[in-house]
Amino acid sequence: MRKGFKMFSKSKACSKSWFNVLFVFSLCVLVSVGCKSKKPKVDDGSSVTPTEVGGTGQIPEGQRDENGTAITDTKLDNVLFSYDSFQVADTEIAKVQKVAEFMKAKPDVKLTTEGNCDERGSAEYNMSLGEHRALAVRAALVGIGIDASRIQTKSYGREKPVDDRHCEEAWHKNRRVDFALYLDKPQAQ
Amino acid sequence: MKILVSLLQKSNVIRSQRIATLQNSDKPNVFARVEGGNPLPPRFSRKALAIAVLLCGLSAGWLVGADVTVEKTGTGKLGIDLSGLNAAGGNAALFRKVLEGDLNNSGWFTIAEKGRAGILVAGECADSGGDISITYEVKNQAGTKKYLGKTDHEAGANARKLAHKVADDIVFAVKGVKGIASTRIAMVGKIGGRKDVFLCDADGGNVTQITRDRTIICLALTWSPNGDSLLYTSDASRYSDVYMINLNDFKRRRIMKYPGLNIGADVSPDGNRIAVVLSKDGNPGLYVTDINGENPMRLTRMPRAAEANPSWAPDGNQIVFVSNKSGLPQLYTTTASAGGYTRITFRGSENVAPDWGANGKIAYVSKRDGKYHICVYDPAKNEDKQLTSEAADDEDPSWAPDGIHIVFSRTVAYHSDLYVLDTMGGAPLRLTTIQGEWTSPAWSPR
Repeated sequence: MRKGFKMFSKSKACSKSWFNVLFVFSLCVLVSVGCKSKKPKVDDGSSVTPTEVGGTGQIPEGQRDENGTAITDTKLDNVLFSYDSFQVADTEIAKVQKVAEFMKAKPDVKLTTEGNCDERGSAEYNMSLGEHRALAVRAALVGIGIDASRIQTKSYGREKPVDDRHCEEAWHKNRRVDFALYLDKPQAQ
Repeated sequence: MKILVSLLQKSNVIRSQRIATLQNSDKPNVFARVEGGNPLPPRFSRKALAIAVLLCGLSAGWLVGADVTVEKTGTGKLGIDLSGLNAAGGNAALFRKVLEGDLNNSGWFTIAEKGRAGILVAGECADSGGDISITYEVKNQAGTKKYLGKTDHEAGANARKLAHKVADDIVFAVKGVKGIASTRIAMVGKIGGRKDVFLCDADGGNVTQITRDRTIICLALTWSPNGDSLLYTSDASRYSDVYMINLNDFKRRRIMKYPGLNIGADVSPDGNRIAVVLSKDGNPGLYVTDINGENPMRLTRMPRAAEANPSWAPDGNQIVFVSNKSGLPQLYTTTASAGGYTRITFRGSENVAPDWGANGKIAYVSKRDGKYHICVYDPAKNEDKQLTSEAADDEDPSWAPDGIHIVFSRTVAYHSDLYVLDTMGGAPLRLTTIQGEWTSPAWSPR
């Protein structure tokens, strides 16, 4: 009896998966047919705007706040990353949202996202990886509604660890994006 | 501006040091490490080693306490005897010591005792108090062939320079190839926790500090093909920008300060273009600019990937670079005119820091068995060789202009020094001896 039941359930699962495949296939056919029938008409002389998919967008020129005044009395939690990754993890999104709230409340504040890596890997590659992390956090902030012109990026690569030890715990803390806050560039006297 | 040049090291005092080898029976590449038992910064360990070897009458070997292990190195190296060269006292003695080191490290010769050498150098080196001059001859042992007969001179303060010149002349006269003794190596020194650009001779002597910015970021050193300029990336002005220093007048220009990251500039072989990684348009990507860092053109478009560390092929058509497109950093090549990319490394979990030599071969770093090692890939033969395998993390290889030697940074127990590797054989020799962390070496052109 038990054996028979098992076999029955297995075959049911199989047939279910086959049904799924069939369903997805037919959906694809429907969609492709639909696309074909609704081909958009492109007028002669129209132009397209190439956009990088998955990119983090341009940093505006001339926005480097080299002469801004650093804000040191506000500390925002840094965003942590996994090894060789630049994705803002779901568990870290809340920190980014908190930064966005702060930025919305203080319109005269500008921000540099500072990307950092753990000590492993080549110095030069880690500079690019750190920048990639800084850009990913910047993109997340822009996605929440912060004006892109208020956010610069900087990479420290593996050169600025918060924990000097050489262990997984330290590496975890060092793979991060810090938030450096600045008051808008003061007017030239 | 801020650029000051100071001669950190003028004298060449040999301090006796305890020299030990890190023995590893199953690995052929045994290397010597100077133990830090001496509180003073160890200096000129290579010279100490070379002379120790000389005194022991060994063509090649390492001194290990009272034991002597003979290392199989430099097969095909010619014994060269300098005992016929009179050079005693003051700058003449310095000249002789530097010349011996240069010949030993040339990759072609081993300093040998009288009667055991195939090549004899005889002559007179005199230090007049002002100038130092040398008249010398280079012959084979039987005296039947004269390779070179020459007189040369330099100001007394330039005894090292004169020795480097004579070493290169001897290498060329006997072996018919251009030596590297007169070349220089640019490097980053981290002293007291902050970084600056330094220069030294190819033998590690004559260390000169070039910048005094004390920055957190200072890396990606490279030379212009004519050797007149040094390019590097530094955050001296808060962000990572590309600087160019003219080595004739020591004037410095910030040639790239685009928004975001500016890093890893490498000048094309014709001297007209610069490959560089910029992040001004999004992901850190590969660009080519003109020689002033202007008119950047994006070469690669890899969605969701960061690129790094471009290096031009000697033909000026291709560029090798690092991308984490596959999830971990690997080497890719692209054409400087058309873009596109081809992955070229598949062994090793991470492959980084490529330097495409004038010999057509790409030196790079590969992570194998948890450590970073120096490897060389020959695209013409599709041949890959791992050159180091020590329990150390090796980084940032840079080809010497002879296409035979490679300088790289080695980190053991979280301490970094520069080492020189002879790709024809032999263990890497330590180049830097001043206390500090030494990284990002770049070997000058001739």
